[in-house]
Parts: sequence; structure tokens; C-alpha cells
Amino acid sequence: METLHPRIRLLWIARGALAAVVLGVVLTAIDQWQVTVPVVAIGGVVALGLVTGTGYALRLYQVWQFELQDDALYLERGVVTFVETAVPFVRVQHVDTQFGPIERVLGLSSVVVYTAGSRNADVRIPGLTPERARTLQNTLRELAVESEADDAV
Amino acid sequence: MPSDANRLHPLSAVTLALQRGLTGLSMPFFVVMILSTIFDGVDIDWIFMLAPVGFVVGIGYGIAYYYRFTYAITSRTLDVTSGVFSRRSREIPYRRIQNVDVSQGVLYRIFGLAVVSLETAGGGETEATLNFVSEAEAERLRAEIRRQTARADDDDASSDERAASASGSASASGVDESTRHERSHPDRRPTLLFELEPTELLVYALTSFRWGAAVFPIALVIFLTSADSGSGLVPAFILEIARPVGGPASLDGAAVGSLLVLIAVTALQWSVATYVASAIYTVANYYGFRLGRAGADFVYERGLIQRYSGSIPVDKVQSVTITENPLQRLVGYAGLWVETAGYGPESSGGSQSAIPLAETDRIYRFAENLTDVETPRFQRPPTLARRRYLVRYSAIAAIVVAVAFGLAQGTGLERWYLAVAVFVAVPLAAHLKYVNLGYHVGEEHLVIRSGFWNRRTTVIPYYRIQTVSTRRSIFQRRLGLASLAVDTASSRTFSWGTPTVPDLELETARELHGIGRERLQSAVRERARSDETGLSVDFT
Repeated sequence: METLHPRIRLLWIARGALAAVVLGVVLTAIDQWQVTVPVVAIGGVVALGLVTGTGYALRLYQVWQFELQDDALYLERGVVTFVETAVPFVRVQHVDTQFGPIERVLGLSSVVVYTAGSRNADVRIPGLTPERARTLQNTLRELAVESEADDAV
Repeated sequence: MPSDANRLHPLSAVTLALQRGLTGLSMPFFVVMILSTIFDGVDIDWIFMLAPVGFVVGIGYGIAYYYRFTYAITSRTLDVTSGVFSRRSREIPYRRIQNVDVSQGVLYRIFGLAVVSLETAGGGETEATLNFVSEAEAERLRAEIRRQTARADDDDASSDERAASASGSASASGVDESTRHERSHPDRRPTLLFELEPTELLVYALTSFRWGAAVFPIALVIFLTSADSGSGLVPAFILEIARPVGGPASLDGAAVGSLLVLIAVTALQWSVATYVASAIYTVANYYGFRLGRAGADFVYERGLIQRYSGSIPVDKVQSVTITENPLQRLVGYAGLWVETAGYGPESSGGSQSAIPLAETDRIYRFAENLTDVETPRFQRPPTLARRRYLVRYSAIAAIVVAVAFGLAQGTGLERWYLAVAVFVAVPLAAHLKYVNLGYHVGEEHLVIRSGFWNRRTTVIPYYRIQTVSTRRSIFQRRLGLASLAVDTASSRTFSWGTPTVPDLELETARELHGIGRERLQSAVRERARSDETGLSVDFT
């Protein structure tokens, strides 16, 4: 099983921190215009949000794993609900590599695998180095072409 | 052989022109109105100069749209070219067309017109809509598309065969021969497979409860209150009916208890009205339902006022679902649905009903014939699952009691502790949820059943699996349980959710996960050798 690049933790922690800050701003706004919220409470909520977010990010990094098996791309992920997904190569429609501005700063990249499935039709593997993302994309593409089914939909 | 470009029905030029003309007429109203409030220089009188101009421009645009919209049936694709200023030309390969639907409103029927929509698997919306053509043209289009699809398939099949015979393993089975034979004569009149009897329609109307119909009573009330205004927020008759059983005389200063009575009585009234509206809706939509077969397509038609008809290619069917609600189970009836990848999340999948309602054993026989699945012997998740539902529903009941307590604190509600009675329903609810669960691991299909209120039994061929997931929430992990979600390309899952076997033992879930993957692979290999669809058209 392959794990993600450790730097992805920074991205996820930052995401958690952003959510905590937004929560803090909302509470401050309520304090301003609606009912008074004690500063201690706001600080406490934000601190709790930061701690939870960081813990969540670290745990998510620990559980996130993926592997290329004989017939399918296999992934394990999830903190609250742990999900093991198999995406058979025959069902891969196309594969993207993506990276957002923050991922770019961190030197990370994601691979997104699309199937014709109707819900959660795209499976994203975040936290890969750009080289790894490119090789994974190429491998997946080759495997998908190799095992192409006649007509899925 | 590219055939000539066709236009829509000439009358559609008139309606298009009128529609765009009205848009053109109303646009200056809004623009001038908004601008005149912002800028002093803009005079409200400009409306009278600009509106006629907008009307004429709109009419011109509508007519131009008509002349710039063409469609053509070529040997491989259906081409639709449209757009007045920015042109869009779309070529839809016949092999990718999922459903062809034809709908006719009342006026359309009077003038012999029809709207044709083509669905493909990609995207969230209908691929092409021909709004509108003549009835005869709609029929011709449908037959032509069917003919071309069959031809394209035949070409492929024969080239496959050449490849197979070249490699020295040609084996055309009798089944293949017969389906190909059918496909080469798609122009024949459809063979009738099923016709909804009046009694079945009546049972269907009386036993199906459509929540969507809940808007009709609301619309009616809004209409009535606007007719006799003065009664305020709540129409007078709602208060009138609730008064004899303890409802308040007016909303101001009413006690919480009497308000609750009012709410209960109103909810009851609303439910009855919704039930009646839904029954009427059902009759209007499914009157004269007929399912037939033409070539390798299912063809259906239905509707009393607005007519719907269409075709569903058999080899596009992703999964088959049997639906039964408690009332239907009581009288021994069930419905059958076939699901394709054709519809986007926005459009309704109502036309995918293969058989709205028939006796349960007949429906199960149809489903077995259609998918070739063996009679399922259902297994249940472990009894630990029931314990889980007991805990879950207890938590919900506790919330209800807490809300009642909260209400009692805020208002003068007495006897809030009577809400504890909801706990009585908890064991029953947990048990009913549990006994309606089931799964069957077949040779070529996975059958999943769940739900008490809307029991759905879904037959999923392993071949149609897109992804397999084993999911475990924190609660499930403590009990060593897992749910197995099997995703297909069926667009029904937008409203029905991914087919899931809930709360299996982790080992069983992992085993099923493996079986699903393995059998998908072997089915794919098998398909590569022969090109049968795995579905039987003559399922009734």
C-alpha cells in the first residue's frame, strides 16, 4: 500500500484552521449584531476547532492509503466513516491530474479518476508529488485501455 | 448516405416567434424601470418606444432560430445544428443514445405535434430536444434511429465475427442469431409485452403516495385565500374544521395544546388532499400504459391528457428494481423499473417504469425473465444490525421527548411527558427495518432489498458494476459491521441512492466486495468473447 506525501498534512491542517477562523468570524459577527457572546467562548470554540481540525488532518493522513491491484485501483480513507473503494480499471473513463494554488505552493498534485458511476463518480487521490501523479496517471490510462470493456453504458 | 437537413414543424416557427417576441416586449419594461430609478436621464416613457422594437426584434430572432435549427439522420450519427449567432452543431452517435422520449401535451395532441428528447449518458441534461415536430415525423425519427442503431450494431457484430473467425474461434450461438434476426427487422409493429388493466391502474392510483403531489393542496389553499382574503395567514376553513376537536378559535393567544390539535388536524387534512391529488395524478399519467418491444428496444406509451411515449434500448439497462410499499404488499402488487444511464439529475426518471403495477409473483417472474437471475434466496445481515437500529431509533425518540420538554419549558404545554409514548414504536420500527433487509449473491447478479415504506429489490448484474465500496462508520466499527455500496451508471441513484447492503459483518462485506470485483472481471472477459446483452427482451 502506498501512502500520501507527508506535506499533504499541512494542506489539511490549513483547511481545518480556515474553517475554525471562519467559525470565529461568524461568532464575532453574532456578538456584534445579535446576542453578546463572551470572548472566552469565541476563543474556546476557535481553539477547539483548531485542535479538532489538526487531529482530523493527522488521522486522515494516517489512514489514507492506495494501491494498484491486478484488476482495480484500491483506496482506503476516511476518519469518521472508513471507506475501502475498488475502482476496476475497465470502468475508468478518464484520468486527470490537478493541482490548486495551495497544492502548487506545497509542490503537490492530485490524480482524479472518473467512472461512469452516478454518485461519487470521481475518485480523487490527493497529496502526490507531481512526478508520481504523472506516472500514476499514465499507468492508470494504460491499464484502462488494456482492459477496455466493449460498452459500459 | 447523409440525408437532407430537416427543420422543425412550421408551426414551431410561430410559437418560437411569439415566445421570443414576448420576451423582447417585456425586456424594455424591466431594463427601463431599473435604469430610471438609478439615472435621472432615463425617462419611463421610453418603455413605449422600446417595447414594440423589442417585440419585433424578438419575433425576428424566433423566426431566425427556426431557420437556423436543423437536424439530420446520417449513417452513423444524428446531427443537430442550432443557434442564431453562436452556432452549435452536435453529432450524436446512435450507439450512445440511451432513451428516446416523445411527449405530447393537450394542445400538441389536438394539432398532431410532439416533442422528441434524446438522452445520452454524458452530462446532466437532455442531449437534444426537438421542440416540436409533427407526430408522423416523431414516429419516423424513432423508427429511423432504431433502424440505424440496429444497423450500426450489426456492422460491429459482423466485424467482430470476422475478427473472431480470423483467430479461429468463431462460435455464433443460436441466441445471437435470433437477436440479430430480430434486429434486422425493427420496422415491424411493436409486439405487446404488457398492458395496464383498469383495475391495476386503480390499485396503482390508490396504493401509491406521491409526496410531490403535496404541492397541489398548498397551491389550492393559496388560490382560495387569495379569493376570499381577510382571514389572515391561515384560511378560515382550517380553523373551522379543527375547532370541534379542540382547535383554537383564532391564532392569537391560543394555548399550545389547542395549537398542536390544529397542527395535527391540518396535517391530516393535508395528507388526505395529497393522497387524492396523487391518485388523480397517477391516473392521468399512467392511463393506457402499454409496454411493447420493437427490435431490441422496449417501447412504452402512457398518459390520459398528456401523452408520453418512448423507447429504451435493452442493452442500455443498468439495473432492474422492484418497488413495493406496505399497501401494495398488503394487496399483493408490485412495480418494476428499468434503469438506464440516460437521465440527468434534473429530469425525472418517471418514464423508466417498465411496469407500473402488477401482481407481485408476476412482477418477480418478469424480473427473473428479464435479467435471467435465479429466484433469489435472501440472506439477512446479522441480528446485531437490528440492535443498531434499536439504538438509532431510541436516539431519535429521545430527541422527540427532549423537544417536547423544551416546548413545555418555553410555553405552557402540560403533560409533555406523554411524548415518551414514541418509545413504544422504537422496537417495532427497528424490527421492520431489519426484516425488510436482504441480499442474494447470485451467479451473475447481486440482489439487494431494503426499506419498509418503500421496499426496493434491486437486481444488479455484476457486469454493470462501476465501483465497489465497503463503508464503516465509527458506530459500525465498534460492532464489527460494514456496509457494502455497489455503484452502477444508473441515473436513478440520484434520487434513490447507491444500492447498499447495510450492516453486514465485516468479513462478509469484504467477501462480497471481492466477489463483486471478481465476477465483474469474468463477465467482462465473457462479453469480449460473445456479444450477447445478457437481458431478454421478451420478459413477460
